[in-house]
Amino acid sequence: MSSTSVYPTPINAFKQSKRSVLSVIVDNEPGILARIVGLFSGRGYNIEALNVTVVDVKKNLSRITIETLGEEKVISQIIAQLEKLVPVHSATNLANLSESYEAEICLIKIEFENDEQDQKILNFADIYRSRTVQKRQNIVVYEISGTSERINKFLDDLDTIGGIKVELVRSGPIGLGI
Amino acid sequence: MANENEFTGADILLKALKDQEVDTIFGYPGGAVLPIYDAIFGQNFLKHVLVRQEAGAVHAAEGYARSSGKVGVLLVTSGPGVTNVVTGLTDALMDSIPIVCISGQVPSHLIGTDAFQECDTTGITRPCTKHNYLVKDVSKLSETIHEAFKIASSGRPGPVLIDIPKDVQFAKSKYISKKDISFREHRIKAGSKNVDKNFVEELVNHIKKSERPIFYVGGGCLNSGHEASQELIKLVNKTNIPITTTLHGLGCFPGENKSSLGMLGMHGNYEANLAMNKCDLMINVGARFDDRVTGRLDAFSPDSIKFHIDIDQSSINKNVKVNFHTNTDIALTLKEINSFIDSNSIDFGDKDYNNWWGQINEWRKKECLHYEQGDEVIKPQHAISRLYELTKQKDTFVTTEVGQHQMWAAQYYKFSKPNRWITSGGLGTMGFGMPAAVGAQMANPDSLVIDIAGEASFLMNIQEIATAVQYKLPIKIFILNNEYMGMVRQWQELLHGSRYSESYVDALPDFKKLAESFNAVGVRAKNISELDDTINEMISIDRPVIADIWVDKKENCFPMIPSGAAHHEMLLSKYDKENPENQEKGKVLV
Repeated sequence: MSSTSVYPTPINAFKQSKRSVLSVIVDNEPGILARIVGLFSGRGYNIEALNVTVVDVKKNLSRITIETLGEEKVISQIIAQLEKLVPVHSATNLANLSESYEAEICLIKIEFENDEQDQKILNFADIYRSRTVQKRQNIVVYEISGTSERINKFLDDLDTIGGIKVELVRSGPIGLGI
Repeated sequence: MANENEFTGADILLKALKDQEVDTIFGYPGGAVLPIYDAIFGQNFLKHVLVRQEAGAVHAAEGYARSSGKVGVLLVTSGPGVTNVVTGLTDALMDSIPIVCISGQVPSHLIGTDAFQECDTTGITRPCTKHNYLVKDVSKLSETIHEAFKIASSGRPGPVLIDIPKDVQFAKSKYISKKDISFREHRIKAGSKNVDKNFVEELVNHIKKSERPIFYVGGGCLNSGHEASQELIKLVNKTNIPITTTLHGLGCFPGENKSSLGMLGMHGNYEANLAMNKCDLMINVGARFDDRVTGRLDAFSPDSIKFHIDIDQSSINKNVKVNFHTNTDIALTLKEINSFIDSNSIDFGDKDYNNWWGQINEWRKKECLHYEQGDEVIKPQHAISRLYELTKQKDTFVTTEVGQHQMWAAQYYKFSKPNRWITSGGLGTMGFGMPAAVGAQMANPDSLVIDIAGEASFLMNIQEIATAVQYKLPIKIFILNNEYMGMVRQWQELLHGSRYSESYVDALPDFKKLAESFNAVGVRAKNISELDDTINEMISIDRPVIADIWVDKKENCFPMIPSGAAHHEMLLSKYDKENPENQEKGKVLV
């Protein structure tokens, strides 16, 4: 992946994978998401993560970011198929750009039982520079952003603390080329 | 307050159709399109053809579009009206046929309530149209219709659907004419107008270097217009390169020309498939490397440099990786190739590919389309050959259903012009041919339109005979009657131990009486001595005719590349045995 995080990553854990992040600019009109999702399911491609939001109200444009898996040949075919959809302006594989940035946001609610757990959680939260959204007696909610890999790593580290309960939501990766 | 510049949605639709120079519409009325039918009642520029089932409307629109080069238009009601056209829309999408389907929808305020004859039309038709719309605001109707026609006919053509709720048909707005609409380019996807000079130069250089080149031409050439076909003929004549076409490419190049190797693929000619297998340069002109053409992919034309001209980016490198490609219109590209050759005075005269033609002529000696016609039972191949001989001097359009008769028609009927051959290739829709003939005859009232049919396919849309009779369309339905779903039976024979599970069509109607009951004409040939007379009689009658041709019930369609086999592993006759390993692999394919 040529994509880099907008946040520094504690450990360089990028792996070579068949993962691709596609950035698609579309007319924001009814049914556009269904067209894209239908294209993926109909042709047997996978969607690992999906993010859709209006990015230009005046021009009525949305940006859709799709994380998918597949060989290069499959990804090229997905892009060609996406670009055939009438409301699609462009579809780009961020990995093909010389420079691109990606980020994901994750909200994590952690329930803990004792101070020792609290300390460990605080410690990891500090290393990963997560922002505290809310803290009560035995519940803390963090917001962490960065590459998906970085968030995975944070979650793996939290996993090493026994006896805590974690509930989370992730936005899926979003990305931008330069 | 009434404003004379404002029109109802129904009137806007009619104005837009007139603006788009639509003169024929195929349709079937119902509750959700009554306002449009009311508008149709009070006008005379648009001829409405009342079909007997909506499937007939969509195939007729396809036949109209294919035979005329114009956009075919149909009008259906909500719910079952539109679900009945799903097959035809898919067919048009697969075969790149420009059609616009107008469907009625329940009134806006009832959408989502499971109202009577409501269905999620845009949801159901999304994967089987090039694009579709639900128009909720009458002020958007004009531009939506004009964009729909533009999208249907631009780039790689296809079906577009416009769903109009009943209240929108009554609501009023201004009409915006076609010339006042500026299309947004990214939505039209017309392909590049600039020919890739590099591609042209590379191609000409490779033609000069190659020893065994071949043109592989598909339906894209047809969709690029008659000019594409003219340029192709020039190029082939200049270079003396052999040419093979796909099922849909038939007619882009004259079938009787000496450079033509005929159709390739599963039931293609031996010489065409062998030439594809052994060539060192393949020039793909608007074909999509379909599985029916390539056979086993890992053995597909292993030693060739491949060039691909296709307006559809997604057809490039989808099934077969090519060395050079361009996404520009075929007519433009071929024209540029021809003028590059002329302006650089490149002479292919000394490069006649003599060895290559020698090899091809060796393959031709196999006479892969040979059959033995006895003196009693009519061989289906012979029926088509005679039909061709007896109609080739006429201005003829041929449609087909799907199955053995379709392949025999492709093999034995020769086409000299594009748009004369109308068949369901990609989807393989039984029941396509007769309504398609209705459409072709509407577009070409003075031509001879023949539906080459099998009795099983014909039964699938038989109701449309009434349409042909009502509009005095003298279409000819030429049934190769073998009382079997012949192609199903053939596969059962080859792959399933001749266990003919449910492929015998019992309780067939008497097609002659059936024709008479519809006020059409029925004729019949039971044996070889009656064949020519029956064909001549059929042609001479200026009314819809059903010709019931009794053919050999057990005849199979050869040559054949069995599923899972490669081009050089063709079966030439029933005496050829298939490689058992391929047979097992082929069984799981389609």
